[in-house]
Amino acid sequence: MSFGSPPLQPPNRPVVKALNCPQCGAAITLRALGRSVSVVCDSCHAILDANDPHLQVLQKFEEITSSDRPLIRLGSRGKIRGAEFEVVGFQRRSLEADGIRYHWHEYVLFNPYKGFRYLTEFQGHWNDLAICKEQPIVDPRISTPLGANYLGENYEHFQTADAETEFVLGEFPWEVRVGEQARISDYIHPPRVLSKEKTGGEITWSIGEYIQGRDIWNSFRLPGDPPEAVGVYENQPSPVGANVKAIWIAFGVFALGLLVLVVGFDTTAKRQSVFQQGYEVSPGPQVGEPSFVTDTFELSGRTSNVEVTTYARVTNNWIYLNYALINQDTGQAWDFGREVSYYYGYDSDGSWSEGSQRDTVIVPTVPPGRYYLRIEPEVDALHPRIGYSVGVTRDVPVAGFYGIGFLALLIPPVLLTWRSMSFERSRWSESDHPPAPIFNTGSD
Amino acid sequence: MFRKLYFLFGVLVLGTVAFAQYRGWSLDSMNELKHVPKSVRDNPGSYRSVYSSYHHYTGGK
Repeated sequence: MSFGSPPLQPPNRPVVKALNCPQCGAAITLRALGRSVSVVCDSCHAILDANDPHLQVLQKFEEITSSDRPLIRLGSRGKIRGAEFEVVGFQRRSLEADGIRYHWHEYVLFNPYKGFRYLTEFQGHWNDLAICKEQPIVDPRISTPLGANYLGENYEHFQTADAETEFVLGEFPWEVRVGEQARISDYIHPPRVLSKEKTGGEITWSIGEYIQGRDIWNSFRLPGDPPEAVGVYENQPSPVGANVKAIWIAFGVFALGLLVLVVGFDTTAKRQSVFQQGYEVSPGPQVGEPSFVTDTFELSGRTSNVEVTTYARVTNNWIYLNYALINQDTGQAWDFGREVSYYYGYDSDGSWSEGSQRDTVIVPTVPPGRYYLRIEPEVDALHPRIGYSVGVTRDVPVAGFYGIGFLALLIPPVLLTWRSMSFERSRWSESDHPPAPIFNTGSD
Repeated sequence: MFRKLYFLFGVLVLGTVAFAQYRGWSLDSMNELKHVPKSVRDNPGSYRSVYSSYHHYTGGK
């Protein structure tokens, strides 16, 4: 139950009166008798004075080719914001911007208790409008620059243009005229739009809200589908805009969670050094089997990783080590090869260096048990004596996972922000304040 | 809807990172073998690494 509606009694039907057009004699139905100021003959499209008992002709409609068919038939009824309205009037208007003429449709709705309100349609985008109850404030000190403030809410100026009425049908609460000029300024705060319309010396402010065509079709029980919306409309709500701030807040929370994991695993990781041994490769050609095995060492605790660190004293040289970490009891093994190389020098760009004398590798998910390493070094044929050491550490945190997690968490907010910005760019590109191009394609 | 999806996604990411750290996953590539003969301990040459004969880098800049 709506608090704004009269309770406990059925609403009166709007007063309807049947008259004849003084221009062509066709029957005319006045649906909002006493409230309409002008009415248009369905047959000859003459505009008549609805307040005159004899329906005096206000304007003869001669541009027979300039006809239009409303998508919502006059007399259709539907619920808008909980109240039933009847479509009593229809007009097509247009404005010119950048040499292109844009047309839109306006429907006059009437409810005997609520009065008039309007539906506008432009390329499948619909707005539900009503006359403002208060005068909006257009003051840069209160609202945004070039904007307006209505009921405490700031609206940004979107566009100002001269509109012309091209075609009318039905009843209107003002003296409508084909060819009538009006200067329209739109201010937006999606999904709302504040529209200022100046006709002669009269200024009318209306407040509107974007409404989906499907909702109108359902409300008026119209057959078929509403026209597909083309492009982005001035006050069309961004499909992702409301989510951007929330998702960045969520990202912050998750990043904090990731930090907790970093601290948690860093402080609880055992980092248990279980093996450390130094070796040497003699210079000259290798004689006999180069591979050997280390002493066994114990990997204790739960299944976890193992870090194998190689430090080799290589200078402008390399050593390659074929490793196998082998469980002495089960025969389970992890086979991997690591190259340690380090080069440096000077050239025309200055000093340079490449590689490192230290290498680490993480062996994943190694169950507890007794293990040894099989090591098979490979070196250059003309190598000098190369000393190297091998260390094994149990249970070390892997920083790369944090980085991958951080990037994974970052991708959705970045994509959403980019999508939101693209949407807003599309919106404002149609305004009097188009955004600067991202890429300057002009030549200097 | 999107917020819920992101919430689930975030929980999944944090859960995966935590599980990976706990289980000791690695980003390094290696070959796992199930049954290496015990004789390798006494005769290391009887085992041949799949990574042997790797083509090495042989010079600096």
